[in-house]
Amino acid sequence: MINGIPLYWYLIVSAALFCIGLYGVMARKNVIAVIMGVELMLNAVNINLIAFWRYITPTSISGITFAAFIFVVAAAEAAVGLALIISIYRNTRSVDPEKIDSMKL
Amino acid sequence: MTLQQILFIVISLVVLGSAVLVVTTRNLFHAALFLVVSFFGVAGFYVLLDAGFFAAAQVLVYIGAISILFIFAVMLTRDVITAQRGNSQWQAAAIVAGVIFLIMALLLGPFSVTIRGREFGNANWPFAMDGNAIKAAPGNFVGILGTGLVDLNQYGVPFLLAAVLLLVAMVGAIWVARELRGREAERAAAETAVDDADMDANQPVQEPLPLIETETHEAHDSRNAAATEKH
Amino acid sequence: MTVFEVINNILKIVGDAVAAFIISILGAGGLADFVIMLLAALIICSICAVAFMGLTYAERKIVARIQDRIGPNQAGPYGLLQPIADGIKMFTKEDTTPAEADRWVYNLAPLVIAVFALLTYAVIPFAPGVVGTNLNIGVFYVIAVGSGSTVAILMAGWGSNNKYSLLGAFRTVAQLVGYEVPMLLNVLPVVMLAGSMSLVDIVERQTLSNGGNGIPFILMAPLSALIFLISGIAETGRSPFDLLEAESEIVAGFHVEYSGMKFALFFLGEYVNALAVSIMFTVLFLGGYAGPILPPYVWLLLKVAAVFTLLMWLRGTLPRVRVDQLMSFNWKFLVPMSIVNVILVMVIGKVFVADAVLAQSNGGIAVPPIVQALILFTSSIALLLASLLLVARQARQLRLVEAEDIEKRVAQNKVAAAKVVAQ
Repeated sequence: MINGIPLYWYLIVSAALFCIGLYGVMARKNVIAVIMGVELMLNAVNINLIAFWRYITPTSISGITFAAFIFVVAAAEAAVGLALIISIYRNTRSVDPEKIDSMKL
Repeated sequence: MTLQQILFIVISLVVLGSAVLVVTTRNLFHAALFLVVSFFGVAGFYVLLDAGFFAAAQVLVYIGAISILFIFAVMLTRDVITAQRGNSQWQAAAIVAGVIFLIMALLLGPFSVTIRGREFGNANWPFAMDGNAIKAAPGNFVGILGTGLVDLNQYGVPFLLAAVLLLVAMVGAIWVARELRGREAERAAAETAVDDADMDANQPVQEPLPLIETETHEAHDSRNAAATEKH
Repeated sequence: MTVFEVINNILKIVGDAVAAFIISILGAGGLADFVIMLLAALIICSICAVAFMGLTYAERKIVARIQDRIGPNQAGPYGLLQPIADGIKMFTKEDTTPAEADRWVYNLAPLVIAVFALLTYAVIPFAPGVVGTNLNIGVFYVIAVGSGSTVAILMAGWGSNNKYSLLGAFRTVAQLVGYEVPMLLNVLPVVMLAGSMSLVDIVERQTLSNGGNGIPFILMAPLSALIFLISGIAETGRSPFDLLEAESEIVAGFHVEYSGMKFALFFLGEYVNALAVSIMFTVLFLGGYAGPILPPYVWLLLKVAAVFTLLMWLRGTLPRVRVDQLMSFNWKFLVPMSIVNVILVMVIGKVFVADAVLAQSNGGIAVPPIVQALILFTSSIALLLASLLLVARQARQLRLVEAEDIEKRVAQNKVAAAKVVAQ
């Protein structure tokens, strides 16, 4: 299924996806949107891993194993992160990362 | 242009376009839906890369579980419409992200820029440039992956750790997000009250923290007002 | 080729002829493949639409009989034209949109639901060689695609901007996400016993002809079959698990605001999903198209009809469960039992191996397939009985505690009454 697509196409698209996610993490004013950006970045990493696996070492499973672990970590991160946000929202009535500063000295 | 190239371009336009909308849309519910579209496009990439198992896992994990979590969180925090587009530093963030992308593109692709007579980029990795000299697709890679994940000599231990991580995350998420009831809630309220009192005693000059109670009263009042208006 | 072979393979022969015809027109290559794929998808989708019409009629008739009514009998002989009349009604109805609706989301939701419901049929084997595409991860694909409709239901609930819609959507998501877990856990034993995730391989393992032993998996994993059926009914949101559209509680759930063709699409999604669950149950546990004498597609049709009739029977007779009952039944009973069941099947499958060569190389006791099936069957039934006993004991203790509580309160009341009398 990969006739005529050079590897760097995938790398560039995933780099773009990573940077869009990075922008979301840095610029959004809502913690949920920030975590959405993190998920986009994780997806970009996964595209990279699977593309490298397919093009360079399709016989070894190292690349896809990493991708599988990223799935696990992404699921765990989303669950715990969103639970934390809901807990914070209950206590402070805000999801603005700039206002969650009660740990600041 | 082969069919695969056209497919690749269409999928990447979908993925990148919806990703841009995810980070710029004002309505967070729409942002979550665009996130779903983006995830679906990434699953399309996995199909193009002969990794059907990961495409299905992407749909199951990201669309069936993670995006549902996002939508629930968006609805539970009731900050959907009022969400602002960006914080005060969004221009700086855009510049940083753009510069990082340019650097990565120069490192990865066959492009180059010349600054003051020095050429940057044009990596020309032999394995990355040719789209046709590709090794054959592996036959039963799901079976190989499965045996590799449970084989203690390969990835058995990390796999167990991943399972433990999932379990801990599940327990932790339930514990953190549970609603306090009855005596527990009273104790928690008393603790926060003591904390507030301590803080007031230690730092009387600082501006007071926004109290939860007043805000909820306000919200309650406004809701009542809206209800009366309707009547 | 004998007449029998022609009749048995009629679908494949016709399909091959059509494919050859298209290739003769367009020439072999990517374009011809594309057109053939498109045609196949079109045929599968239209079969689903026709089946949807037939199923609504059959369901109304059968449920009516169960409830001592006659059912549709006005349009055409025996009311046979009722689905067409319904279709015309749906087409001519006004297509309303709530004023405050989130338009894009509201209009897209029914489409997304119908698409996800139809996607399942791409991997289902209807007869030997008659399958959309034989994915090597078929079962996983079906479950992944099935989980996609959750997003669409949330879209419908949110987009309608109606609190009943949103409540219905929340309930639906809690139910669908919860019951996906036992469903997946009970597909695992089948995958382990078949040694493959491809639906074609799973069916072939249950036939007598191609390397299978002719024992359907319902005999090897009866507990899995039972839980799969229960969670399948819950996944499609049919009675007794129809909390998502409980008319008496939240009007109609997430599709309360929809009318006309959009409502018809939701309806189609529901029936196509129910049919998909029946077909999946048939393929995974009843041997799909495997069977003697009759042609394979007739066997598949008969088995699917039987399973779907069972679903209608349940719908006609059982009352709706409560939300808390639904969730605790899933998380406290089905999921733990499924996990124990998976471990049980795994251990027994490794200890008593049906394949003599495999037993030699991997260890384990070589037994004939029928003995392995017998051991699996008895252990599954034993597990079911043990868990039922456990639950019954728990329930009795709870009842005892409640009874003590009541006695105590009655005694207190008596003391208080005595005091009042003394004063």
